Amino acid sequence: MMKKPSAEQTLGGRLKGNRSDKAFPYLMIAPAILLFCVFVIYPFAQGFISSFHKWDGLSPMKWLGLRNYENIMQDSLFWGAMKNTFLYAILVTIIKNIFALLLALFLVKKVLPGRTLFRTAVYLPVTMSYVVIGVLWMWIFNPTFGLLNPLLEFMGLGGLIRGWLSDPDVAIYSVIWVDIWKWTGFHMVMYVAGLNSIPEDYYEAAAIDGASSWQRFWKITIPQLNSTIFTNLLMSVTGAFTSNYALVNVMTGGGPNNATEVAATYIVKTGLKYVNLGKANAMTFVLFIFTLVFGMIQLKTIVRDENYDH
Amino acid sequence: MVEKKTSKVVVMVIGYAAMIVCLLLCVYPLIWMVFGSLKTTNDFYTNIWGPPIKFIWENYVEAWRRADMGRRYLNSVFITGLFLLINIPTACCAAYSFARLRFKGQQKLYLFLLCGIMIPTGVLTLPLYSTMVSLGLINSRVGLAITYAGTSVAFSTFMMRGFFISLPKGLEEAACIDGCTMFGAFRRVILPLTKPGIMILVIYNGLSNWTEYHLASLVLPSAAKQTVPVGMALFQANNAIEYPVLFAALSLATVPMVIVYILCQKSFISGMTAGAVKG
Repeated sequence: MMKKPSAEQTLGGRLKGNRSDKAFPYLMIAPAILLFCVFVIYPFAQGFISSFHKWDGLSPMKWLGLRNYENIMQDSLFWGAMKNTFLYAILVTIIKNIFALLLALFLVKKVLPGRTLFRTAVYLPVTMSYVVIGVLWMWIFNPTFGLLNPLLEFMGLGGLIRGWLSDPDVAIYSVIWVDIWKWTGFHMVMYVAGLNSIPEDYYEAAAIDGASSWQRFWKITIPQLNSTIFTNLLMSVTGAFTSNYALVNVMTGGGPNNATEVAATYIVKTGLKYVNLGKANAMTFVLFIFTLVFGMIQLKTIVRDENYDH
Repeated sequence: MVEKKTSKVVVMVIGYAAMIVCLLLCVYPLIWMVFGSLKTTNDFYTNIWGPPIKFIWENYVEAWRRADMGRRYLNSVFITGLFLLINIPTACCAAYSFARLRFKGQQKLYLFLLCGIMIPTGVLTLPLYSTMVSLGLINSRVGLAITYAGTSVAFSTFMMRGFFISLPKGLEEAACIDGCTMFGAFRRVILPLTKPGIMILVIYNGLSNWTEYHLASLVLPSAAKQTVPVGMALFQANNAIEYPVLFAALSLATVPMVIVYILCQKSFISGMTAGAVKG
């Protein structure tokens, strides 16, 4: 952890301190700490406290004890939404990363014509907002003049045609696909960078020893790529718990029949449409507990990677 | 040997095919969007795949007017700009203090701030909304910009701290032999050396908030103050009859950013990659 530096090492020590110098470090962090307290700590605390109350957001809170949480336990809509949230997070994370890694493996270390163009193109959706992408895909999925169904028909797969956003069994997967579409290019670029940092001699040595390309992949590439894979998985999963709000809200509004409701959309509905902020905030904290594991892994990775005394 | 060669060819063929499919998958929807935006309504229904038979540029005029794009762009630029003007100085000052100064309680305060990284973006949106209500920041562009600055301060400080720490020790003293204030040393000597870090903040934080929808859609009820994504979502919900105009509005919301991206691709990609550790 942090070493105590001797006085002459520090700027404060050199430029001998009058009182304003002593205050200087605190003045420098004050705005950041203030913003952090007002917009992260305060909402967190207020949200937590209100989750034990009946609250409409305006009039004073009324104490309910654990009633909101008991209420949630029996709310099948909420657990349906949580199930979708997890399905979304898991599928998005796995599929994005598999696609991205496969593309990166193909792309890396080969001087293919059109390689840069390809990278530019698959990265494009990263710069677009979820709203625009959601609306665009809504029309691609549209049964009467969308792109998808005519394409399937053209390929002789007419049997697959369905209401991509209106069929309750399929709708959530359609939304999940759009998230995958948006981020695969981004993860691919991360994997290409990771693959490029593996020293070439590892492969050369393995080739001399007669290792097959399959062996080289499992014995060199994957272990060397470990931390890249870890970062990518963590990045996909932490984002996925709430980034689904815009897509679901724009594309399906949670329907049909709550089939695409996710925690983020259901929380907002409960809080603002049904004006039950206490219960909505209780849900926020249930969701938070589930994401806390990933948050803590993230914090731990970050603190471990931090170099305290350079 | 022959077998090996054929298998290599097969891999190449499959890989190329996959690449082309991906390329079409990423780019064609965007081309389709632009095509659709230039069609007549009739053309839009009957000619689904191809380019427009006749280019209807008026769709853009109509979309610009009906979706109030000008105002929404101004709002987005204003909110993102103000956010960056708050975010960058606060994060840089705090990061400098945490990285290169020594003071009592430093480590505890830093760990306190890092707790913010444990909360995934967006989980606290509803409590944040309540906070903004009680602070009177609802329906205010300035309020939204300040709130964004608050939610991203932990990560931004963490990121900038890494840059400040990597600079050599004693730089301030060496550069300020004839004496300058502590703030002067920070501003004139150290800060200019961390331009790459500031670029990352501009790109990553700027883009995240430029495209932010969740909070913005809750706290900006009045149409005159809405950002591009919020306006787009409403326009799509209310005007879903004249599709070419909707597509023109979508193009207007997308194309400028795409152009910026294509022009500064390198810094865009490296900025997003470095910033996205937070996810």
